[in-house]
Amino acid sequence: MNRNGANTIEELLTLQSKLSEIALIPAWIEQLASRHGIPKHTQFAMDVCLEEVLSNIIRHGYAGAPDHTILVRCTIPRKDYLTLIVDDEAPPFNPLLSQDFPSPRSLDRTSAGGRGILLLKQFADTVNYELKPKGNRLTISFTAPEKSNAV
Amino acid sequence: MLISTEELSGSVTKVVLDGRLDIAGAQAIDLRMNVIAGSHRAVLVDMQKVSFIGSMGLRAIVAPARAIKSRGGKIVLFAPNGMVESVLKASAIDTMIPIHHELQSAMAALQ
Repeated sequence: MNRNGANTIEELLTLQSKLSEIALIPAWIEQLASRHGIPKHTQFAMDVCLEEVLSNIIRHGYAGAPDHTILVRCTIPRKDYLTLIVDDEAPPFNPLLSQDFPSPRSLDRTSAGGRGILLLKQFADTVNYELKPKGNRLTISFTAPEKSNAV
Repeated sequence: MLISTEELSGSVTKVVLDGRLDIAGAQAIDLRMNVIAGSHRAVLVDMQKVSFIGSMGLRAIVAPARAIKSRGGKIVLFAPNGMVESVLKASAIDTMIPIHHELQSAMAALQ
């Protein structure tokens, strides 16, 4: 854990590009929560967002190749605001430009899958994409309950 | 993620899910859910012990639900906790597969 000059708390998790690594996320979130007092519903939202973002990077960005790295940073600049920054070195891809999942009319007319980006947008307060010189960065923020639009 | 089944009255099959419906959890139940969907017409998915659900978990429920419905059957989701239910609602799954928090109403919906 680091504290930078502005007294922002920063925690880093380094993952390999394997789907099995996503299993590390719940415990990491729990550790963050116990150290920094993150509310349960925010922990859940972080869990949902990271599950979607990481699985997309691993399955699509890195096309299943297991020998890459994904960096997940949690920054807490103040008590009621938390940011997850996910960095990869995969080919350029902005998930926010994906077509919105169509509103389902009925069970027989809906797709079984494809709701990951929808959940990311619903459970994060803000999501920003940045193309890096080598790879992609997603910045996902969560605010305190009384200010949050996220569930 | 653990999955078990129990036969209830009225030819209702209760499927009990226990754990995280993340990518690994979805893989763990996929085959069994699809077998159940292919052979039962009234299915109650007990979600009381589901602690998390992501998009792959949603897929693991929607796919068998479609199969059940295509065969003229019915399926309900029973008693997900508040946060799991928020995922079901955010993805509008609740508009296609009813959620019930009372066993009596869940059973009635399957008749």
